[in-house]
Amino acid sequence: MLTYIIRRTLYMLPLLLIVSLISFSLIKILPGDFLTRARLNPQITEETLQRQIDRFGLDRPFIVQYWFWLKSIVTRGDFGMSFDTKMPVFKTLFMGNRLQWTVFIALSTLFLQYLFAIPIGIYSATHQYKPSDHIVTFFGFLGLSIPNFFFALLVLWLLVVVFKVGNYGLSVAGVMDMRYYGTPLTWGKIVNVLWHMWPVWLVIGTSGMAGLIRLMRGNLLDTLSLPYVQTARAKGLKETVVVYKHAVRNAINPLVTILGLSLPTLVSGSIVTAIILNLPTVGLSYFNALQRQDENVVMAGLLFFSLFLLLGNLIADFMLAWVDPRIRYD
Amino acid sequence: MKNALILASLLVLTSLAVFGQGYDTQPEDALIVPIGVAGTLYEDMELGVQGGTITIANLEDPKGWNHSTSHETSTTWFSVRSLRGLVGTDHISGALYPDLAKSWEVSEDSLVITFNLRKGINWSDGVPITADDILFTYNDLILNEDVDDDRRDGLQLPDNTYPVCEKVDDYTVKFTMSVIFRPALNSLGFLIQPKHKLAEFVHKLNPAVPAGTFNEQWTLDTDLTELVGNGPWIVSDYQPNVSVTMTRNPYYYGYDPAGTQLPYYDKVVAAIVSNQDVMMLKFRNGETDVYALRPEDIAILLPEGARKSFQVKITDEPNYGTTWFMPNQDIGLAEGTDAEKRELYRNVKFREALAHTIDKDTMIQNVLNGLGGKQWSQVGVPGPWYAGRDYYGGPITENNAVRYEYDPAKAAGILDDLGVVDADGDGWRDLPSGDPLTIEINANDNTVRIGYCLILQDDWRAIGLNATFQVVDFNTLVDHIFAGTGDIIQLGLTGGDEVNGGANVYNSCGGLHAFRFSACDDPDEVDLRIDELLGLGAGTFDLDEAFGYYVEMQQLIARQIGYINLVVPTFQYAYYDHVGNCFTAAPNKHPSSYTGLVIELLFDTRLL
Repeated sequence: MLTYIIRRTLYMLPLLLIVSLISFSLIKILPGDFLTRARLNPQITEETLQRQIDRFGLDRPFIVQYWFWLKSIVTRGDFGMSFDTKMPVFKTLFMGNRLQWTVFIALSTLFLQYLFAIPIGIYSATHQYKPSDHIVTFFGFLGLSIPNFFFALLVLWLLVVVFKVGNYGLSVAGVMDMRYYGTPLTWGKIVNVLWHMWPVWLVIGTSGMAGLIRLMRGNLLDTLSLPYVQTARAKGLKETVVVYKHAVRNAINPLVTILGLSLPTLVSGSIVTAIILNLPTVGLSYFNALQRQDENVVMAGLLFFSLFLLLGNLIADFMLAWVDPRIRYD
Repeated sequence: MKNALILASLLVLTSLAVFGQGYDTQPEDALIVPIGVAGTLYEDMELGVQGGTITIANLEDPKGWNHSTSHETSTTWFSVRSLRGLVGTDHISGALYPDLAKSWEVSEDSLVITFNLRKGINWSDGVPITADDILFTYNDLILNEDVDDDRRDGLQLPDNTYPVCEKVDDYTVKFTMSVIFRPALNSLGFLIQPKHKLAEFVHKLNPAVPAGTFNEQWTLDTDLTELVGNGPWIVSDYQPNVSVTMTRNPYYYGYDPAGTQLPYYDKVVAAIVSNQDVMMLKFRNGETDVYALRPEDIAILLPEGARKSFQVKITDEPNYGTTWFMPNQDIGLAEGTDAEKRELYRNVKFREALAHTIDKDTMIQNVLNGLGGKQWSQVGVPGPWYAGRDYYGGPITENNAVRYEYDPAKAAGILDDLGVVDADGDGWRDLPSGDPLTIEINANDNTVRIGYCLILQDDWRAIGLNATFQVVDFNTLVDHIFAGTGDIIQLGLTGGDEVNGGANVYNSCGGLHAFRFSACDDPDEVDLRIDELLGLGAGTFDLDEAFGYYVEMQQLIARQIGYINLVVPTFQYAYYDHVGNCFTAAPNKHPSSYTGLVIELLFDTRLL
């Protein structure tokens, strides 16, 4: 197992290298650069623009720029500076608890997704084709089909205009009221965070839940049709024991694998929701850098997301080996 | 979290020490804003009381606190509220007034401007403001090649030199110019930065630090207690993606006639809201106190304002900035193609035909929901130099503006005369030689601009021109402009009060003379006269004389039909009733202005 871990970790390095090269090329191929907006300012002269170009090395050939970028990472561990903030890139990306909030939002959403999806999937399978099955499936797909940004705006609109929460002194969007920032952890603060988080969980959670519900349902139905389940019933076991103690444990296998893969999707896929709901996440600062073509930050952000994805895959494989005794990596 | 806790307690403990107690008595040289004084533009304003917090919303996080290196508005938003310059711009009239300076004199030969500083005023940490700070900012920051400061460009004189700044005494500085340059007075209003806090980071003054160290100072992760300014507020708290809080500067030198120190509000909280729809929802939810409306918001906010306690103010004051489209007169020049089309675009009668098919009324009604005005000049309508005024800063009568009114029949007639007729019977006009003529209009994906372009497309197709509209990514569009590729491009430029600030647009060799970059090598008479008038207008301090030059210049530019102006949105905003002095907003003239509201003059009416 240890050799497997080491081998997988080593595989990540060339993969990250290829990802970085492709990303760098894409950024350079795109028209315009960090200075494009500045060019439209009548006040700025050619000399100033040229000075900026020299400073950031924007007119060197693409492969030279890539080489310098790679070299500074490998020799100095220096991922470069943001053109905008003049701070190191990871400081810019992770500023002010962004990393903690990103992980918190991703993990809590993941947890809630599974918490709801598994029982609903089981219920759906055990009541196959009954009206309740259809209703549950319908809502699951509703959450999947409504675009996140629209759903988020809809929730905010409902809160502000229909329920008029402002009259009760409640604020919307963000992760907590502005006055709670930097204050010690109290029950008031926790309740406030919960109030701000439930739209986030609703919007991001429901979009991934439909898939999980259907997967759970399908797997359980498959498992329930297997001969050993028939044997268990024939032995006289109660239906609940048959389902929960035997069938579910086998059916849940693929969902555990997906757990690892869901994590990076949550981190990078919630950018649009983060924009609407003002969540201080890494995705949002990455998006801002993308808009301003702050190249070094964009590259660092891409590496970060790729690393997350690879780690997610690794975790998924481990969980599979842990849960299913038939699988061994030697 | 823990770091935030430590920072918070540090702020509380040190804020008194850092901010000091303020002035014991009102400084003799204080700036008195004539709030409520009859006979002034401020007579309708009310005297307020200190206290309270005002919350506004911004679209983006700031990128740092270093004014020299900040190049975009989300960052300068904060530095222009914590720093002031020798000269300020009045928020109602746009006229220049003495800000950090208490007066200035222009010498007989108009080459020397001497500024007298206010005595007895301090930085926010109690250190006195003196001429050394002016010299430091000008010589060691702006003119210093090591510092990434683009204010240098606005100070360049027509002969490519810069004004020379000298100290006369601790409270007097003078700037000497090699040529008469009227706009210098405007650009000499650059914001003054504190020498005692920043000199140690400038290599020129402190060789121990490497060159360029200054560019990395006062970044976002700087301890906020280090920030020192001379404006009404100083940044005191920053939560990334959430909010920036500014707290009153106890040493601000502005007072109202009753002796109350400005600003009235104790704190300004700028909430960072990345989406305009959410901004509006937060305003309706009572989380923010003011909101800059879009035309589409009027229908919802106007009736709701009557029910809740906020006002929607719709003015007919046009915003700054220009919206235009430009036929590329160098089309195909570099590639050696499209010679006939290029010749057609270069024919001013053809462009006149295009100009006569702009239905500005429809644009205002359909795209701007009726909240807009027609634009006839590249010089911004709100500014004092707009040709439609009768004299500098005078009322707008449009007597001198050159206008091409909406007249599709006339346009069709001009095209017929040019020989641009349907030669092959396909229903579309062709080039005089008979080859087909197609026109592609490009704009970026901005809903307002798309709206304008669709109307243009329809009107041109109605007179037989085969025009199609294509949305193009913003960066690609900018590339087209500077590469001289592109067909007809629709875009806009920001604007300001000073005509010379747009010199790069009007000057035949200017970097933004994008409708015909080749004019630099091959200027015609009109180009040369425009260049001459630019120089003449900048070369005299006599405002009436300068106004005459600029009117002629604007008329020539309008007849040259390089950039063809469209419409400009008017300026509207919404505010809650408890924000006092909110009714006197004007488009963003004053550095402190937010949606045209000068925040330091607002107050909380509930405290009265």
